[in-house]
Amino acid sequence: MKRRQFIRTSALAAAGVVVAPYILPSGRLFAATGTRLVNHVVFVLFGGGLRIQETALQQYLANQGLATQGNILPNLFSGAQPSTNLVYSKWTPALSKPLASYGTLFKEISYKTGPTGHFNGHTVAMTGNYTNTQLDLRINPDSPTVFEYYRKHTDPAKSAINAWWLSEGLGPYTALNYSRHANYGADFGANFLSPVTTFIGQGSKLANTPDFQADDVLRIDKALNFLDNSFDKAGKNLPGIVNSEADKIKIEQFIKDTINRTQQSKINFALPSGVNQSELTGDLLNITYSWEVINAFEPELMVVNTFNSDICHSDFSSYIQNMHKADYGVGWLWNKIQNHPKLKNDTIMICMPEHGRNDVANNLYDSNGLKAYDHTSDDNSRRVFAIVAGPSSVVKQGQVLGSAGSPAGETIDIIPTIAHILGFEKDIPSGMLGGKALTAAFN
Amino acid sequence: MRAFKRNILLAFLLAFVFASCKKETTEKKQTIVYDNVIYHVDTIPVYKSAAEKTRQKTANQYYSILYSDLFQKSIPSKELADLTQLSLSIGDKKLVNEMMIKNYLITAIIPTDAEMRKDIDKFINLTYLKFYLRKPTQLELYFFRDMITNDTKVTPTNIYTSFTLSNEYLYY
Repeated sequence: MKRRQFIRTSALAAAGVVVAPYILPSGRLFAATGTRLVNHVVFVLFGGGLRIQETALQQYLANQGLATQGNILPNLFSGAQPSTNLVYSKWTPALSKPLASYGTLFKEISYKTGPTGHFNGHTVAMTGNYTNTQLDLRINPDSPTVFEYYRKHTDPAKSAINAWWLSEGLGPYTALNYSRHANYGADFGANFLSPVTTFIGQGSKLANTPDFQADDVLRIDKALNFLDNSFDKAGKNLPGIVNSEADKIKIEQFIKDTINRTQQSKINFALPSGVNQSELTGDLLNITYSWEVINAFEPELMVVNTFNSDICHSDFSSYIQNMHKADYGVGWLWNKIQNHPKLKNDTIMICMPEHGRNDVANNLYDSNGLKAYDHTSDDNSRRVFAIVAGPSSVVKQGQVLGSAGSPAGETIDIIPTIAHILGFEKDIPSGMLGGKALTAAFN
Repeated sequence: MRAFKRNILLAFLLAFVFASCKKETTEKKQTIVYDNVIYHVDTIPVYKSAAEKTRQKTANQYYSILYSDLFQKSIPSKELADLTQLSLSIGDKKLVNEMMIKNYLITAIIPTDAEMRKDIDKFINLTYLKFYLRKPTQLELYFFRDMITNDTKVTPTNIYTSFTLSNEYLYY
């Protein structure tokens, strides 16, 4: 060996000895430094655009020129329900104590900048950065999603089966399970399902998907490996996240089982006892199947949304009704988690609307003569609430923070808060997130 | 000698009669332009090699082509719309494609095992043309010939499954 070559080889070997212990399987140089508060987070994007007046402020019809006030979200907040001028059917709450009492209520937080559109609101909430994107195009966001931060910066690296995004609808929301960011992307994305389609609608085609015999799988794989090795474009260039083969089999089985159980009426829907299934909304279906996913995979991170209250653009009464139903769904989901032996003391639930709605009504009236509201980026549409609920050993119970004109945080703070809970906040490169963790919620 | 002269005379007479009866004709040539003729045969480009495939099929393209490859007819528009929605509703696209392919293969038009083994080279060539729109290379031909010959349990369905799941099938 020549002298120069010897020196170069030795230097590389020495550098390898020094650096190798810090290179993790995830490709990162250093392990996550944070301590976890709990091991599971469920983030309910209580969406569709909810006005602060009918939610945290419990004003019910007071803004419609009627004196009646009250709390239509008894599973989220303390406070008596309205007793007169009822434009909705009251459901018996799923919870004996509201969710806010199991944690901290941020009675007022703000959506500071950018258009208050649904897709923007979802993007802001799930990426922790404000966006000015105006169009609801089916394009993955520029900034990394919470799933990517979680999967990339958690040690040991987490597979996609630990991170789920369940959307009430399709449209652009299908693109929120990973971003276009060069350092993150689909390799760190979440599994996505839109249950109404996957399990009820078009998904029924998949109910009888056959399983290949093990020896057939070997033959198929042998030929497939040969074919893929003969082609220069790898599967990872395809759109969408990729599960490991083992996880893919589990998810396929779950999808088939869930479709079959749905068809056999064996799903326990998020409905009060005695209420007919015809009362189910898309929101309640989404919450129901979220629980099916949680129960099957015990994921560490799940984001699930509701959306049906968006009917407020034209029908205020249905907005009230749908919010009331979605509220029941959140309580029902919390109950399910609290009755799960592994999850009950190891889960934090965060609930927040993606944005609010205007202060001034549009010119539409519903069948009860109630005015409808849009959400066009006025100050009122930037006012929302947030609840952080969890075990009393971790989350401050019954605390209320923030008020009108004095918000206790921003909607971009939820992602740093989740990172704080799951212990990877300090591993996110500085400057990536616009907000800060809502640490006031924790002991 | 007299008979010979009579035959010659008869031949001349016949020649004269037939020649004189021939009607004069003028051939009119007309130019016909076939610019609007549909022969119901699609032009299918055959790639010289896999390297020519650089663009990824959209979900619509993928399902349309998959359906027509497996059922030898165009995909009904509702079926295509349903598949597109279904594909959107599941984040792992490879998973949903696999599930759809498994379902389709139950009723797809697939050669029998006997047909495949009767002329293995023909089966391989036709399979490459059907799914990849190109002929197999010598190496590819050798691989599948060897696989089918040496494993009597390899089925045409196994081979079709591999092709439809492969990365090359996702590109054009």
